Amino acid sequence: MGRDDRAIMLRSALFVTAGRVLRGPQLHRLADREEGGWHVRTLACDRVVDFDRRQGIHIQTEEDVVFHDGEKFDAAAVKANYDFVKKPENAVTAVSLLQAYDRAEVVSPYVVKLVLSTPDSSFLESTSNVKLGLISPKSLAKGDLCGGGRGLAGTGPFVFESYTRGQSAVFARNAAYNWAPGNAAHNGPAHLDRVTLRFLPEYAVRTGALTSGQVDLIEGVQPTDAPLFAEQPGFKLLTGPSGASTSFTFNINYTRPPADDVRVRRALRDGFDLEPIVKQVYLGTVPRAWSIIGPANPAYNKALVGSWGNDIAGANKLLDEAGWTGRDSEGFRTKDGKRLSIEVGYPQPYVRDNRDILIQGVQAALRKNVGLDLNLRLITAGEYAKNNANGTWVIYPNTDNPSDPARELWDMLGSKGFLYSNIPNPDQEITSQIDESLRTTDPVRKRQLTDAIQKRGVDQAFIVPLFAPSWFLAAKSNVNGLGFEAGLDSPSSAYDFWIAKK
Amino acid sequence: MWSRIVSRLFTSLVVAWASVTATFLALHALPGRIQDILAGDVEYPGLREAIAAEWGLDRSLPEQYVEFLSRILRGDFGTSYVLRQPVIEVVGSQLLPTVELALTAGVLAIVIAGFIALLTAGRGRFSRELTSFVELVFASTPVFWLGILLLMAFSFNLRWFPVSGAEGWNSLVLPAITLALPTAGLLTQVLREAMEKTLDQPFVTTVRSRGVGELVIRWRHVLRHALLPAVTLGGWLIGGLLGGAVITEKVFGRPGLGTVTLGAVLTHDVPVVLTVVLLAAFIHVAASTLLDILYVLIDPRLRAQ
Amino acid sequence: MTAPSHRSFDTAVPLEAPQDLVGFEASHSLAAIAVRRRLPFGLVLSFVFVAFLIAASIAPSLFTHFDPLVGDFSEGLKPPGWAHLFGTDRLGRDVFARTVFGTRYSLLIGFGGVAVGLGAGIVLGIIAGQRNRILDEAVSRLFDMLSSFPGVLLAMLIVTFLGQGMLNIAIAVGIAGIPKFGRVVRAQTQLIRDADYVTQAAIYGLSRWQVFIRHVLPNVLVAIPIIATVYIGSTILIVSGLSFLGLGPQPPTPEWGVMLAESRDVLRVAWWPGVFPGLAITATVIAFSVIGNHLQQRFEGRLA
Repeated sequence: MGRDDRAIMLRSALFVTAGRVLRGPQLHRLADREEGGWHVRTLACDRVVDFDRRQGIHIQTEEDVVFHDGEKFDAAAVKANYDFVKKPENAVTAVSLLQAYDRAEVVSPYVVKLVLSTPDSSFLESTSNVKLGLISPKSLAKGDLCGGGRGLAGTGPFVFESYTRGQSAVFARNAAYNWAPGNAAHNGPAHLDRVTLRFLPEYAVRTGALTSGQVDLIEGVQPTDAPLFAEQPGFKLLTGPSGASTSFTFNINYTRPPADDVRVRRALRDGFDLEPIVKQVYLGTVPRAWSIIGPANPAYNKALVGSWGNDIAGANKLLDEAGWTGRDSEGFRTKDGKRLSIEVGYPQPYVRDNRDILIQGVQAALRKNVGLDLNLRLITAGEYAKNNANGTWVIYPNTDNPSDPARELWDMLGSKGFLYSNIPNPDQEITSQIDESLRTTDPVRKRQLTDAIQKRGVDQAFIVPLFAPSWFLAAKSNVNGLGFEAGLDSPSSAYDFWIAKK
Repeated sequence: MWSRIVSRLFTSLVVAWASVTATFLALHALPGRIQDILAGDVEYPGLREAIAAEWGLDRSLPEQYVEFLSRILRGDFGTSYVLRQPVIEVVGSQLLPTVELALTAGVLAIVIAGFIALLTAGRGRFSRELTSFVELVFASTPVFWLGILLLMAFSFNLRWFPVSGAEGWNSLVLPAITLALPTAGLLTQVLREAMEKTLDQPFVTTVRSRGVGELVIRWRHVLRHALLPAVTLGGWLIGGLLGGAVITEKVFGRPGLGTVTLGAVLTHDVPVVLTVVLLAAFIHVAASTLLDILYVLIDPRLRAQ
Repeated sequence: MTAPSHRSFDTAVPLEAPQDLVGFEASHSLAAIAVRRRLPFGLVLSFVFVAFLIAASIAPSLFTHFDPLVGDFSEGLKPPGWAHLFGTDRLGRDVFARTVFGTRYSLLIGFGGVAVGLGAGIVLGIIAGQRNRILDEAVSRLFDMLSSFPGVLLAMLIVTFLGQGMLNIAIAVGIAGIPKFGRVVRAQTQLIRDADYVTQAAIYGLSRWQVFIRHVLPNVLVAIPIIATVYIGSTILIVSGLSFLGLGPQPPTPEWGVMLAESRDVLRVAWWPGVFPGLAITATVIAFSVIGNHLQQRFEGRLA
């Protein structure tokens, strides 16, 4: 498999993308997402959809589940996990999912009640998020959570075996495993004895590793390499929806000049023809996006299709109106001697899937069509964290991890979401709509709100959707049981994989 | 002879010490606080305090320097705050693939250079001009481009070698050749010049008059003498191989010191980059010292002085 | 026979030995061989090519009508042909145009790096070349120390401190190059200070300082352009190497090293983005090396 190993080496918040790699095989969540819904991997669950204040979820855990280090998976373990995440000093990014979480009450050894402080329509969905995978309380207490998997004991079908920096991580089968989630194809221990994840950060390198037989499965195949595997003897190519049920978008910080002027933002949104760029970079394998929510998501606002973009004349007019009428020696617009320059700070560890190439294409088009300098800069994770904390970020390109659509919108546009929590005066209209959509228990109203939020986001050009990502898996033809896990941005857990003998 | 050896050792120690001191001074001469420089862009609670404690930043500059020096002598290169690990672990775990590559490329370069020098020294003008030109081309070719070309030809098209990785000897072939060729270009020239000089010596004429074949003369008699000047290049060779390995690893997607260092540069992980650079310098100094001493020991003319 | 040091060897190479790899010094010493065997054709060709390079740096649009930064998205990855001499890259940009426009970066950063190294190297080299033994030892150890760091790694260290970008890698490469320039200037200074006419000037009663200013310095400085030309090739090699690693100019700048780095993902289906920029680098380095060494051979006699 190939996965960007820098994701593992990321900073303090271990649970970020390391989760996808390390936690997938190892850890389980409280609930698991399925096509079109969720499956709560627990037994009795009552009053889940009751959203009065102070209600929560009763969870009864299975009684024979054990962590890899021998600790029992019981109500106390769940409580330990959720409390740990909630504590700010532990610097866990999943804390944003637990906004409404107040406390856990251990009702009996195997029954825990998760109490919410405010109603949260997305909470159940959040519990199925990979970032809330459950770790043995002993591991939590020991605190060696950033050491690359060694200190993580989970309940998953694979146990951590070894880790070589920059090279690989190896997981061995958990022979005691007998509690597969409801959406798995079988129960009992995994088919495979051992799973080795090799970190190969470059497309050509991964492709070459598979074609030469050095690995069995790769993820992240670029479109130009897909013909090597699609319908080729000995290989298979799978296309799956990306786990991210949001599109890849530009999130524009609408409080920072020059993008604080809605005319400038709209000019950016409309100043290029997105379709041929997406088509060229992805060779027609993925569609362009129209909304911040992805087309595969049930909450997608279809009315937005065809409603904006590619109005170059209009964009130029807007910029003239906004006073950007000068031109400098390179052809960019200027106002009072200052160039119309908007920076896209893309953290290097998150660059994947040719997205930087896509942005370069947009950059070139904007330069030619409207004289806007979209300055793409690859920055370090640390610099991004600083910009975020200071509210000084300008454009942040992003797909959000999947969760409930209201929660996703909250995350990206809400007043306490990860982007805007450090920005004074976010847009009142949209943030209040977002907050209401989380509180409301009426699905019709919620749908109305999420539609409105999407529309406003695009209309005000708070976000510029780019494309709806897809994920490619290529494997040797004798690898079976492959699939995509909706909750992860990667292949499904290796639990159901098996390899046919030749 | 011994005085020469001792003075050589002394010079090396001075140079090694100077590198460490220079890095220390450079660190402190930079604008901005040391804590900020060492932390790179990373930020988490307790970080600045940890850095201050580890580097003793509350003490006076001379005290810090002594502390720094003694830590280096103990082999403690500090912690990488970006990776949250001791630097020596980070570097040590990735050393092997790079050493493999550098060694293989070095040996290959020497073999190629020796072979060509053997064949072409003192020969006709045409062959020398031709090889000179070829050497010039190889020495002017960027190593990363050479790697790309070899990748295209042998990996993508002919499928003889894997595109990347560090599995088995197979994946060592292309990177080693890529790294070896530019080096071989220069080495060949050195060797050939030395061989031609030796071939002009009277003793060779004597041996030739005994009817010994040309190739045998070169192989058995001349090569040994010609190798001596090349020995002095050893330290430089090693340093250059390490530097070239950094680039080659990127081309071929090989894990190793180069990848670690590049990652550290891009994330402003100063401790890691410092360590790699210092280690490379130490290796360079150690190797050239050893080889120089070897030279003195081997060459009887020097021993007598 | 003089005592060998790890820095020089008794062969036909007139100046101090190479200390870095990957063609840093090789170009000059190898070209020395080439030139001595009298290849005037090669020399003429090199001059013409360098003239073309300089023209391409100053006025690239003379050579192409395509925009190096904006391509036609429907023309992505087209092979070389009549429409696009070197083909197009994945964003539809004309590769020939990008190569031509990229000339200025390589030359600028290359010359910049040489300037930095030469500037510091001249000062240090002259100091070392004086009759003061202590100064000589000290500066020579400094050179040793600097050259014990492999050039690429030292440049990377400096970039870690300064950040990425064109100016910074020029500085980094310059600093890494101080030893080689310094040693050449030192040798040159020593050569001149021992020359007859300098001794005579001293006999005539000129003070040491006057002798230095009027006789030694000018003759040392005369050698500078020659030295610069000799080393510009190897400097361009390391500069493009650093850019390839991502430490120099950033995309979409059409710098040759950057272009080669970008070409790697599509190599399997398109060879042209990965070939032509590399050819450009190689040709440039060869051309400068040949010229530089020719100059060096020709003026060697006049310098002492």
